[in-house]
Amino acid sequence: MNGLIVNKFMLLILTAFFCLSLIVIYLPILVMVVFSFNSGKYQTLPFREPTFEWYVSLIADNSFINSFFTSLMMASLASIFATILGFLAAYAFSKAKVPAHALLFGIVVCPLVIPMILIGIGMRLQIVSIGIEPALWLVLLGQTLYVLPLAVINLKNRIDKIPKSMEEAAISLGSTRIKSIILILAPICAPSIFATLLLTFTFSFDEFVIAYFLTNFEVTLPIRIWTSLVTGFEPKINAVGTAVFIFSLTLGLIAQFILLFKQTDLDKNKA
Amino acid sequence: MGGSSNTINPWPFLLPALLLCILFFLIPTVNMVILSLTTENGFGLDNFKLFFSTPHLTQALYRSITLAISATIMGSLVAWPLAYFIVFCVNKKWRPLFLLAILAPFWTSFTIRAFSWQLVLSDNGVIAWFIELITGMSVTLGILYTMNASIFGLALFCSMLTTFTLYGALVSIDTKLIEAASNLGAKPFNIFKDIIFPLGLPGWIAGIFLSFIVCVGDYAVPTLLGGGLKPVLAQIMLSILKGTYDLSQAATIAIILAMTVIMCGLPLIIYGMLRRKRLSV
Repeated sequence: MNGLIVNKFMLLILTAFFCLSLIVIYLPILVMVVFSFNSGKYQTLPFREPTFEWYVSLIADNSFINSFFTSLMMASLASIFATILGFLAAYAFSKAKVPAHALLFGIVVCPLVIPMILIGIGMRLQIVSIGIEPALWLVLLGQTLYVLPLAVINLKNRIDKIPKSMEEAAISLGSTRIKSIILILAPICAPSIFATLLLTFTFSFDEFVIAYFLTNFEVTLPIRIWTSLVTGFEPKINAVGTAVFIFSLTLGLIAQFILLFKQTDLDKNKA
Repeated sequence: MGGSSNTINPWPFLLPALLLCILFFLIPTVNMVILSLTTENGFGLDNFKLFFSTPHLTQALYRSITLAISATIMGSLVAWPLAYFIVFCVNKKWRPLFLLAILAPFWTSFTIRAFSWQLVLSDNGVIAWFIELITGMSVTLGILYTMNASIFGLALFCSMLTTFTLYGALVSIDTKLIEAASNLGAKPFNIFKDIIFPLGLPGWIAGIFLSFIVCVGDYAVPTLLGGGLKPVLAQIMLSILKGTYDLSQAATIAIILAMTVIMCGLPLIIYGMLRRKRLSV
Protein backbone atom coordinates (compact mmCIF):
# COMPACT_ATOMS: atom_id res chain seq x y z
CA MET A 1 0.00 0.00 0.00
CA ASN A 2 2.77 2.36 0.99
CA GLY A 3 4.27 2.29 -2.47
CA LEU A 4 1.06 3.69 -3.90
CA ILE A 5 1.32 7.08 -2.27
CA VAL A 6 5.00 7.60 -1.57
CA ASN A 7 7.56 7.29 -4.33
CA LYS A 8 11.27 6.73 -3.72
CA PHE A 9 12.13 10.41 -3.89
CA MET A 10 9.40 11.40 -1.42
CA LEU A 11 10.42 8.59 0.90
CA LEU A 12 13.97 9.88 0.93
CA ILE A 13 12.88 13.43 1.74
CA LEU A 14 10.45 12.34 4.46
CA THR A 15 13.03 10.06 6.08
CA ALA A 16 15.59 12.85 6.06
CA PHE A 17 13.07 15.25 7.55
CA PHE A 18 12.18 12.78 10.29
CA CYS A 19 15.83 12.21 11.20
CA LEU A 20 16.50 15.95 11.22
CA SER A 21 13.54 16.46 13.55
CA LEU A 22 14.88 13.83 15.91
CA ILE A 23 18.23 15.62 15.99
CA VAL A 24 16.56 18.96 16.74
CA ILE A 25 14.40 17.42 19.45
CA TYR A 26 17.17 15.54 21.21
CA LEU A 27 20.15 17.85 20.70
CA PRO A 28 19.45 20.24 23.63
CA ILE A 29 18.69 17.38 25.98
CA LEU A 30 21.90 15.64 24.98
CA VAL A 31 23.80 18.87 25.57
CA MET A 32 22.26 19.18 29.02
CA VAL A 33 23.23 15.63 29.92
CA VAL A 34 26.78 16.22 28.69
CA PHE A 35 27.08 19.46 30.67
CA SER A 36 25.85 17.73 33.81
CA PHE A 37 29.11 15.72 33.74
CA ASN A 38 31.26 18.68 32.77
CA SER A 39 33.53 20.26 35.36
CA GLY A 40 33.98 24.02 35.51
CA LYS A 41 31.47 26.60 36.60
CA TYR A 42 30.60 27.96 33.15
CA GLN A 43 28.48 26.15 30.65
CA THR A 44 30.76 26.46 27.67
CA LEU A 45 32.36 23.99 25.36
CA PRO A 46 34.76 22.37 24.81
CA PHE A 47 34.17 19.62 27.29
CA ARG A 48 36.49 19.71 30.29
CA GLU A 49 37.20 16.90 32.72
CA PRO A 50 34.24 14.61 33.39
CA THR A 51 32.93 14.88 36.93
CA PHE A 52 30.16 13.69 39.23
CA GLU A 53 30.56 16.88 41.25
CA TRP A 54 27.13 18.29 40.34
CA TYR A 55 25.31 15.10 41.19
CA VAL A 56 27.09 14.90 44.53
CA SER A 57 26.26 18.50 45.38
CA LEU A 58 22.68 17.87 44.25
CA ILE A 59 22.24 15.01 46.68
CA ALA A 60 23.78 17.14 49.43
CA ASP A 61 21.40 20.03 48.69
CA ASN A 62 18.45 19.67 51.07
CA SER A 63 16.30 22.20 49.26
CA PHE A 64 16.28 20.05 46.11
CA ILE A 65 15.83 16.78 47.95
CA ASN A 66 12.98 18.13 50.10
CA SER A 67 11.19 19.66 47.13
CA PHE A 68 11.58 16.37 45.28
CA PHE A 69 9.82 14.51 48.08
CA THR A 70 7.10 17.16 48.28
CA SER A 71 6.50 16.77 44.54
CA LEU A 72 6.57 13.00 44.84
CA MET A 73 3.87 13.10 47.50
CA MET A 74 1.72 15.66 45.66
CA ALA A 75 1.94 13.78 42.38
CA SER A 76 1.23 10.39 43.97
CA LEU A 77 -1.86 11.63 45.78
CA ALA A 78 -3.12 13.73 42.85
CA SER A 79 -2.73 10.84 40.41
CA ILE A 80 -4.52 8.42 42.76
CA PHE A 81 -7.37 10.87 43.39
CA ALA A 82 -7.71 11.77 39.71
CA THR A 83 -7.67 8.12 38.63
CA ILE A 84 -10.33 7.12 41.16
CA LEU A 85 -12.58 10.10 40.43
CA GLY A 86 -11.86 9.70 36.73
CA PHE A 87 -12.74 6.01 36.73
CA LEU A 88 -16.05 6.62 38.49
CA ALA A 89 -16.94 9.51 36.19
CA ALA A 90 -15.87 7.58 33.08
CA TYR A 91 -18.07 4.69 34.18
CA ALA A 92 -21.06 7.01 34.58
CA PHE A 93 -20.47 8.70 31.22
CA SER A 94 -19.95 5.37 29.49
CA LYS A 95 -22.59 3.10 31.00
CA ALA A 96 -25.25 5.22 32.70
CA LYS A 97 -27.80 7.63 31.28
CA VAL A 98 -26.42 10.99 32.36
CA PRO A 99 -28.79 13.92 32.03
CA ALA A 100 -27.28 16.86 30.12
CA HIS A 101 -24.50 14.46 29.12
CA ALA A 102 -22.65 16.85 26.80
CA LEU A 103 -22.73 19.73 29.28
CA LEU A 104 -21.50 17.71 32.25
CA PHE A 105 -18.83 15.95 30.20
CA GLY A 106 -17.77 19.38 28.96
CA ILE A 107 -17.45 20.68 32.51
CA VAL A 108 -15.32 17.73 33.57
CA VAL A 109 -12.89 17.85 30.62
CA CYS A 110 -12.85 21.64 30.32
CA PRO A 111 -9.65 22.15 32.39
CA LEU A 112 -7.84 20.44 29.51
CA VAL A 113 -8.72 23.19 27.03
CA ILE A 114 -8.07 26.11 29.36
CA PRO A 115 -4.58 27.54 29.74
CA MET A 116 -3.26 26.16 33.02
CA ILE A 117 -2.33 29.61 34.22
CA LEU A 118 -6.03 30.55 34.25
CA ILE A 119 -6.90 27.58 36.48
CA GLY A 120 -4.11 28.59 38.83
CA ILE A 121 -5.00 32.24 38.98
CA GLY A 122 -8.72 31.50 39.33
CA MET A 123 -8.11 29.32 42.37
CA ARG A 124 -5.72 31.82 43.89
CA LEU A 125 -8.19 34.69 43.57
CA GLN A 126 -10.94 32.47 44.96
CA ILE A 127 -9.06 31.43 48.09
CA VAL A 128 -8.02 35.01 48.71
CA SER A 129 -11.60 36.23 48.52
CA ILE A 130 -12.86 33.62 50.98
CA GLY A 131 -9.86 34.04 53.24
CA ILE A 132 -8.05 30.69 52.97
CA GLU A 133 -4.27 30.73 53.26
CA PRO A 134 -2.34 29.22 50.33
CA ALA A 135 -1.23 25.71 51.29
CA LEU A 136 -0.15 22.37 49.90
CA TRP A 137 -3.57 20.72 50.21
CA LEU A 138 -4.89 23.31 47.78
CA VAL A 139 -2.10 22.44 45.35
CA LEU A 140 -3.17 18.82 45.64
CA LEU A 141 -6.78 19.65 44.75
CA GLY A 142 -5.72 22.01 41.97
CA GLN A 143 -3.46 19.41 40.38
CA THR A 144 -6.11 16.71 40.74
CA LEU A 145 -8.48 19.00 38.83
CA TYR A 146 -5.85 19.62 36.18
CA VAL A 147 -5.13 15.93 35.46
CA LEU A 148 -8.73 14.72 35.91
CA PRO A 149 -9.69 15.22 32.22
CA LEU A 150 -6.78 13.00 31.15
CA ALA A 151 -8.00 10.26 33.47
CA VAL A 152 -11.63 10.57 32.38
CA ILE A 153 -10.84 10.51 28.66
CA ASN A 154 -8.34 7.65 28.90
CA LEU A 155 -10.56 5.46 31.05
CA LYS A 156 -13.75 6.26 29.15
CA ASN A 157 -12.06 5.11 25.95
CA ARG A 158 -11.36 1.79 27.61
CA ILE A 159 -14.70 1.32 29.37
CA ASP A 160 -16.57 2.18 26.15
CA LYS A 161 -15.08 -0.95 24.56
CA ILE A 162 -16.30 -3.28 27.29
CA PRO A 163 -19.76 -4.67 26.52
CA LYS A 164 -22.37 -3.97 29.16
CA SER A 165 -23.36 -7.64 29.07
CA MET A 166 -20.36 -8.69 31.16
CA GLU A 167 -21.54 -6.69 34.10
CA GLU A 168 -25.18 -7.58 33.49
CA ALA A 169 -24.28 -11.26 33.59
CA ALA A 170 -22.63 -10.85 36.98
CA ILE A 171 -25.59 -8.92 38.31
CA SER A 172 -28.17 -11.40 37.11
CA LEU A 173 -26.14 -14.11 38.85
CA GLY A 174 -26.56 -12.22 42.12
CA SER A 175 -23.65 -9.79 42.29
CA THR A 176 -24.17 -6.17 43.28
CA ARG A 177 -23.33 -3.23 41.02
CA ILE A 178 -20.38 -2.17 43.19
CA LYS A 179 -19.05 -5.72 43.42
CA SER A 180 -19.27 -6.22 39.67
CA ILE A 181 -17.37 -2.99 39.06
CA ILE A 182 -14.60 -3.91 41.48
CA LEU A 183 -14.33 -7.59 40.54
CA ILE A 184 -15.01 -7.45 36.79
CA LEU A 185 -14.72 -4.01 35.26
CA ALA A 186 -11.68 -2.76 37.19
CA PRO A 187 -9.53 -5.85 36.48
CA ILE A 188 -10.36 -5.68 32.76
CA CYS A 189 -9.30 -2.04 32.77
CA ALA A 190 -6.20 -2.68 34.89
CA PRO A 191 -3.62 -1.83 32.19
CA SER A 192 -5.44 1.39 31.36
CA ILE A 193 -5.81 2.26 35.02
CA PHE A 194 -2.11 1.71 35.56
CA ALA A 195 -1.24 3.81 32.51
CA THR A 196 -3.59 6.55 33.67
CA LEU A 197 -1.92 6.57 37.09
CA LEU A 198 1.50 6.99 35.49
CA LEU A 199 0.30 9.61 33.04
CA THR A 200 -1.45 11.76 35.62
CA PHE A 201 1.52 11.32 37.93
CA THR A 202 3.94 12.64 35.31
CA PHE A 203 1.76 15.63 34.48
CA SER A 204 1.21 16.51 38.11
CA PHE A 205 4.88 15.96 38.97
CA ASP A 206 5.96 18.51 36.35
CA GLU A 207 3.16 20.97 36.99
CA PHE A 208 4.44 24.39 37.95
CA VAL A 209 1.95 27.19 37.69
CA ILE A 210 -0.87 25.85 39.90
CA ALA A 211 1.64 24.98 42.62
CA TYR A 212 3.29 28.38 42.26
CA PHE A 213 -0.01 30.22 42.72
CA LEU A 214 -1.38 28.10 45.56
CA THR A 215 1.55 27.96 47.94
CA ASN A 216 3.52 30.61 49.75
CA PHE A 217 6.42 28.81 51.38
CA GLU A 218 6.21 25.12 50.55
CA VAL A 219 8.16 24.36 47.43
CA THR A 220 7.68 21.62 44.85
CA LEU A 221 10.50 20.52 42.58
CA PRO A 222 9.33 22.52 39.52
CA ILE A 223 9.15 25.65 41.70
CA ARG A 224 12.64 25.00 43.06
CA ILE A 225 13.98 24.54 39.54
CA TRP A 226 12.19 27.65 38.31
CA THR A 227 13.59 29.77 41.13
CA SER A 228 17.06 28.54 40.34
CA LEU A 229 16.65 29.30 36.63
CA VAL A 230 15.30 32.83 36.95
CA THR A 231 17.38 34.06 39.88
CA GLY A 232 20.83 33.04 38.75
CA PHE A 233 22.54 30.08 37.31
CA GLU A 234 23.56 27.10 39.43
CA PRO A 235 25.70 24.59 37.53
CA LYS A 236 23.98 21.68 39.25
CA ILE A 237 20.78 22.57 37.42
CA ASN A 238 22.05 20.43 34.53
CA ALA A 239 22.24 17.47 36.87
CA VAL A 240 18.74 18.23 38.19
CA GLY A 241 17.44 18.51 34.64
CA THR A 242 19.03 15.22 33.63
CA ALA A 243 17.65 13.45 36.70
CA VAL A 244 14.13 14.86 36.22
CA PHE A 245 14.27 14.09 32.51
CA ILE A 246 15.15 10.45 33.08
CA PHE A 247 12.63 10.10 35.91
CA SER A 248 9.66 11.55 34.00
CA LEU A 249 10.69 9.96 30.74
CA THR A 250 10.72 6.49 32.25
CA LEU A 251 7.26 6.88 33.77
CA GLY A 252 5.82 8.61 30.71
CA LEU A 253 7.23 6.04 28.32
CA ILE A 254 5.84 3.11 30.31
CA ALA A 255 2.43 4.78 30.31
CA GLN A 256 2.55 5.60 26.62
CA PHE A 257 3.80 2.11 25.83
CA ILE A 258 0.91 0.50 27.66
CA LEU A 259 -1.62 2.80 26.02
CA LEU A 260 -0.26 2.27 22.53
CA PHE A 261 0.60 -1.44 22.57
CA LYS A 262 -1.30 -3.17 25.33
CA GLN A 263 -4.70 -1.85 24.37
CA THR A 264 -4.40 -2.83 20.76
CA ASP A 265 -3.36 -6.30 21.92
CA LEU A 266 -6.48 -6.60 24.02
CA ASP A 267 -8.68 -5.44 21.20
CA LYS A 268 -7.06 -7.92 18.87
CA ASN A 269 -7.75 -10.76 21.31
CA LYS A 270 -11.35 -9.75 21.50
CA ALA A 271 -11.77 -9.66 17.76
CA MET B 1 -33.99 -7.88 36.49
CA GLY B 2 -32.74 -6.77 33.11
CA GLY B 3 -34.94 -3.71 33.23
CA SER B 4 -33.80 -2.50 36.62
CA SER B 5 -30.12 -3.05 35.97
CA ASN B 6 -30.36 -0.98 32.81
CA THR B 7 -30.93 2.13 34.85
CA ILE B 8 -27.69 2.86 36.61
CA ASN B 9 -27.94 5.88 38.85
CA PRO B 10 -25.10 8.05 37.49
CA TRP B 11 -24.88 10.51 40.36
CA PRO B 12 -22.89 8.53 42.96
CA PHE B 13 -20.26 7.92 40.27
CA LEU B 14 -20.30 11.38 38.80
CA LEU B 15 -20.67 13.58 41.83
CA PRO B 16 -17.12 13.48 43.23
CA ALA B 17 -15.53 14.53 39.94
CA LEU B 18 -18.25 17.07 39.23
CA LEU B 19 -17.97 18.59 42.69
CA LEU B 20 -14.23 19.05 42.25
CA CYS B 21 -14.76 20.79 38.92
CA ILE B 22 -17.54 23.02 40.23
CA LEU B 23 -15.74 24.04 43.42
CA PHE B 24 -12.30 24.58 41.99
CA PHE B 25 -13.00 25.52 38.41
CA LEU B 26 -16.51 26.84 37.76
CA ILE B 27 -16.92 28.93 40.91
CA PRO B 28 -13.41 30.44 40.65
CA THR B 29 -14.11 31.32 37.01
CA VAL B 30 -17.35 33.10 37.90
CA ASN B 31 -15.56 34.80 40.77
CA MET B 32 -12.85 35.95 38.39
CA VAL B 33 -15.39 37.47 36.00
CA ILE B 34 -17.05 39.31 38.88
CA LEU B 35 -13.69 40.49 40.20
CA SER B 36 -12.68 41.83 36.80
CA LEU B 37 -15.93 43.80 36.58
CA THR B 38 -15.67 45.20 40.10
CA THR B 39 -14.22 48.68 40.42
CA GLU B 40 -14.00 51.21 43.22
CA ASN B 41 -17.30 52.74 42.20
CA GLY B 42 -19.38 49.62 41.69
CA PHE B 43 -19.72 47.43 38.61
CA GLY B 44 -18.27 48.46 35.31
CA LEU B 45 -15.78 47.94 32.54
CA ASP B 46 -13.22 50.32 34.07
CA ASN B 47 -10.65 47.56 34.56
CA PHE B 48 -10.84 46.66 30.89
CA LYS B 49 -10.63 50.31 29.81
CA LEU B 50 -7.58 50.68 32.01
CA PHE B 51 -6.05 47.56 30.45
CA PHE B 52 -6.50 48.78 26.91
CA SER B 53 -5.17 52.24 27.72
CA THR B 54 -1.98 50.86 29.27
CA PRO B 55 0.53 50.47 26.42
CA HIS B 56 2.76 47.90 28.09
CA LEU B 57 -0.25 45.66 28.73
CA THR B 58 -1.69 45.92 25.21
CA GLN B 59 1.77 45.29 23.82
CA ALA B 60 2.01 42.18 25.99
CA LEU B 61 -1.36 40.99 24.66
CA TYR B 62 -0.19 41.61 21.11
CA ARG B 63 3.01 39.67 21.81
CA SER B 64 1.08 36.79 23.39
CA ILE B 65 -1.14 36.48 20.32
CA THR B 66 1.66 36.87 17.76
CA LEU B 67 3.81 34.37 19.60
CA ALA B 68 1.02 31.81 19.90
CA ILE B 69 -0.10 32.16 16.29
CA SER B 70 3.41 31.97 14.78
CA ALA B 71 4.42 29.01 16.93
CA THR B 72 1.17 27.18 16.22
CA ILE B 73 1.42 27.69 12.47
CA MET B 74 5.05 26.60 12.29
CA GLY B 75 4.48 23.60 14.54
CA SER B 76 1.39 22.45 12.69
CA LEU B 77 3.18 22.61 9.32
CA VAL B 78 6.05 20.48 10.59
CA ALA B 79 3.54 17.97 11.96
CA TRP B 80 2.33 16.91 8.48
CA PRO B 81 5.53 15.40 7.10
CA LEU B 82 6.29 13.82 10.48
CA ALA B 83 2.89 12.16 10.94
CA TYR B 84 2.75 11.29 7.24
CA PHE B 85 6.12 9.59 7.43
CA ILE B 86 5.23 7.58 10.53
CA VAL B 87 1.86 6.42 9.21
CA PHE B 88 2.61 5.78 5.52
CA CYS B 89 6.33 4.99 5.36
CA VAL B 90 6.84 2.89 8.46
CA ASN B 91 5.93 -0.74 8.94
CA LYS B 92 2.71 -1.05 10.92
CA LYS B 93 4.46 -2.88 13.74
CA TRP B 94 7.00 -0.10 14.28
CA ARG B 95 4.68 2.88 14.04
CA PRO B 96 4.07 3.36 17.80
CA LEU B 97 7.82 3.20 18.36
CA PHE B 98 8.50 5.94 15.81
CA LEU B 99 5.75 8.03 17.34
CA LEU B 100 7.27 7.52 20.78
CA ALA B 101 10.63 8.71 19.48
CA ILE B 102 9.05 12.04 18.57
CA LEU B 103 6.90 12.25 21.68
CA ALA B 104 9.29 11.04 24.36
CA PRO B 105 10.60 14.46 25.46
CA PHE B 106 6.96 15.55 25.63
CA TRP B 107 6.64 13.69 28.92
CA THR B 108 9.34 15.60 30.69
CA SER B 109 9.31 18.96 32.34
CA PHE B 110 8.42 21.84 30.06
CA THR B 111 10.73 24.12 32.03
CA ILE B 112 13.68 21.80 31.75
CA ARG B 113 13.24 21.56 27.99
CA ALA B 114 13.10 25.34 27.64
CA PHE B 115 16.22 25.62 29.76
CA SER B 116 18.09 23.04 27.69
CA TRP B 117 17.59 25.26 24.63
CA GLN B 118 19.38 28.06 26.46
CA LEU B 119 22.47 25.87 26.42
CA VAL B 120 22.22 25.51 22.65
CA LEU B 121 21.13 28.98 21.59
CA SER B 122 23.04 31.27 23.96
CA ASP B 123 25.92 33.41 22.69
CA ASN B 124 28.44 30.98 24.14
CA GLY B 125 26.23 27.97 23.56
CA VAL B 126 26.67 24.92 21.39
CA ILE B 127 25.72 26.51 18.06
CA ALA B 128 28.05 29.48 18.56
CA TRP B 129 30.81 27.09 19.58
CA PHE B 130 30.20 24.93 16.53
CA ILE B 131 30.29 27.90 14.15
CA GLU B 132 33.52 29.09 15.72
CA LEU B 133 35.00 25.62 15.42
CA ILE B 134 34.30 25.52 11.68
CA THR B 135 34.92 29.09 10.61
CA GLY B 136 37.50 29.95 13.23
CA MET B 137 35.68 33.22 13.86
CA SER B 138 33.96 34.11 17.07
CA VAL B 139 30.32 35.04 16.43
CA THR B 140 27.63 36.71 18.45
CA LEU B 141 24.45 34.83 17.68
CA GLY B 142 22.00 37.14 19.45
CA ILE B 143 19.23 34.53 19.22
CA LEU B 144 18.62 33.89 22.90
CA TYR B 145 16.29 36.32 24.68
CA THR B 146 14.46 37.34 21.54
CA MET B 147 10.92 36.78 20.34
CA ASN B 148 12.28 34.43 17.67
CA ALA B 149 13.77 32.16 20.30
CA SER B 150 10.38 32.02 22.04
CA ILE B 151 8.61 31.23 18.78
CA PHE B 152 11.11 28.50 18.01
CA GLY B 153 10.80 26.93 21.47
CA LEU B 154 7.03 26.87 21.38
CA ALA B 155 6.85 25.77 17.73
CA LEU B 156 8.85 22.71 18.68
CA PHE B 157 6.31 21.88 21.36
CA CYS B 158 3.40 22.49 18.95
CA SER B 159 4.91 20.23 16.33
CA MET B 160 5.07 17.36 18.82
CA LEU B 161 1.51 17.91 20.00
CA THR B 162 0.09 18.24 16.48
CA THR B 163 2.05 15.24 15.22
CA PHE B 164 0.40 13.25 17.99
CA THR B 165 -3.18 14.31 17.16
CA LEU B 166 -2.60 14.11 13.39
CA TYR B 167 -1.12 10.62 13.77
CA GLY B 168 -4.36 9.54 15.45
CA ALA B 169 -6.38 10.74 12.49
CA LEU B 170 -4.10 9.41 9.75
CA VAL B 171 -3.61 5.98 11.28
CA SER B 172 -7.35 5.32 11.30
CA ILE B 173 -7.75 5.97 7.57
CA ASP B 174 -9.05 2.85 5.89
CA THR B 175 -6.26 1.69 3.58
CA LYS B 176 -8.85 0.20 1.21
CA LEU B 177 -9.81 3.76 0.25
CA ILE B 178 -6.27 4.49 -0.85
CA GLU B 179 -5.92 1.17 -2.68
CA ALA B 180 -9.20 1.73 -4.48
CA ALA B 181 -8.22 5.23 -5.54
CA SER B 182 -4.88 4.00 -6.76
CA ASN B 183 -6.40 1.10 -8.68
CA LEU B 184 -8.67 3.56 -10.41
CA GLY B 185 -5.64 5.55 -11.48
CA ALA B 186 -5.36 8.34 -8.93
CA LYS B 187 -1.96 9.99 -8.73
CA PRO B 188 -0.22 10.18 -5.31
CA PHE B 189 -0.87 13.91 -5.15
CA ASN B 190 -4.59 13.46 -5.79
CA ILE B 191 -4.78 10.69 -3.19
CA PHE B 192 -3.27 13.11 -0.72
CA LYS B 193 -5.53 16.00 -1.72
CA ASP B 194 -8.80 14.06 -1.87
CA ILE B 195 -8.40 11.35 0.75
CA ILE B 196 -5.56 11.81 3.21
CA PHE B 197 -5.79 15.55 3.75
CA PRO B 198 -9.56 15.74 4.38
CA LEU B 199 -9.50 12.71 6.69
CA GLY B 200 -6.48 14.01 8.59
CA LEU B 201 -8.00 17.46 9.00
CA PRO B 202 -9.90 16.86 12.27
CA GLY B 203 -6.76 15.58 14.00
CA TRP B 204 -4.75 18.45 12.61
CA ILE B 205 -7.28 21.05 13.75
CA ALA B 206 -7.47 19.50 17.23
CA GLY B 207 -3.68 19.75 17.45
CA ILE B 208 -3.70 23.38 16.30
CA PHE B 209 -6.36 24.26 18.86
CA LEU B 210 -4.56 22.60 21.77
CA SER B 211 -1.22 24.09 20.68
CA PHE B 212 -2.67 27.58 20.63
CA ILE B 213 -4.08 27.17 24.13
CA VAL B 214 -0.77 26.03 25.54
CA CYS B 215 1.20 28.75 23.74
CA VAL B 216 -1.02 31.67 24.69
CA GLY B 217 -0.87 30.75 28.39
CA ASP B 218 2.80 29.84 28.54
CA TYR B 219 5.25 31.72 30.75
CA ALA B 220 8.21 29.29 30.79
CA VAL B 221 9.43 29.55 27.20
CA PRO B 222 8.88 33.35 26.97
CA THR B 223 10.82 33.82 30.20
CA LEU B 224 13.68 31.40 29.60
CA LEU B 225 14.11 31.88 25.85
CA GLY B 226 12.42 35.23 25.23
CA GLY B 227 13.78 36.99 28.28
CA GLY B 228 12.01 39.32 30.67
CA LEU B 229 12.36 42.63 28.81
CA LYS B 230 9.43 42.15 26.46
CA PRO B 231 6.99 40.10 28.54
CA VAL B 232 3.88 38.31 27.31
CA LEU B 233 0.63 38.45 29.28
CA ALA B 234 1.28 35.23 31.20
CA GLN B 235 4.59 36.62 32.48
CA ILE B 236 2.83 39.79 33.63
CA MET B 237 0.22 37.73 35.48
CA LEU B 238 2.94 35.80 37.24
CA SER B 239 4.68 39.00 38.30
CA ILE B 240 1.45 40.63 39.54
CA LEU B 241 0.72 37.78 41.92
CA LYS B 242 4.22 37.74 43.34
CA GLY B 243 4.68 41.51 43.14
CA THR B 244 2.13 44.34 43.05
CA TYR B 245 -0.66 41.94 44.01
CA ASP B 246 -3.32 43.94 42.18
CA LEU B 247 -5.94 41.20 42.14
CA SER B 248 -8.58 42.90 40.02
CA GLN B 249 -5.93 43.61 37.40
CA ALA B 250 -4.84 39.97 37.52
CA ALA B 251 -8.48 38.90 37.08
CA THR B 252 -8.91 41.32 34.17
CA ILE B 253 -5.83 39.98 32.40
CA ALA B 254 -7.01 36.42 33.00
CA ILE B 255 -10.41 37.18 31.46
CA ILE B 256 -8.78 38.85 28.46
CA LEU B 257 -6.54 35.82 28.00
CA ALA B 258 -9.58 33.54 28.20
CA MET B 259 -11.44 35.67 25.65
CA THR B 260 -8.44 35.45 23.33
CA VAL B 261 -8.54 31.67 23.51
CA ILE B 262 -12.27 31.61 22.88
CA MET B 263 -12.09 34.03 19.95
CA CYS B 264 -9.22 32.23 18.27
CA GLY B 265 -10.77 28.86 19.02
CA LEU B 266 -14.26 29.78 17.87
CA PRO B 267 -13.66 29.34 14.12
CA LEU B 268 -12.19 25.91 14.83
CA ILE B 269 -15.08 24.91 17.10
CA ILE B 270 -17.66 26.08 14.54
CA TYR B 271 -15.82 24.18 11.86
CA GLY B 272 -15.92 21.05 14.03
CA MET B 273 -19.65 21.40 14.62
CA LEU B 274 -20.42 22.00 10.94
CA ARG B 275 -18.38 18.99 10.02
CA ARG B 276 -20.15 16.77 12.54
CA LYS B 277 -23.48 17.96 11.21
CA ARG B 278 -22.43 17.27 7.64
CA LEU B 279 -21.23 13.78 8.53
CA SER B 280 -24.43 12.94 10.37
CA VAL B 281 -26.65 14.05 7.47
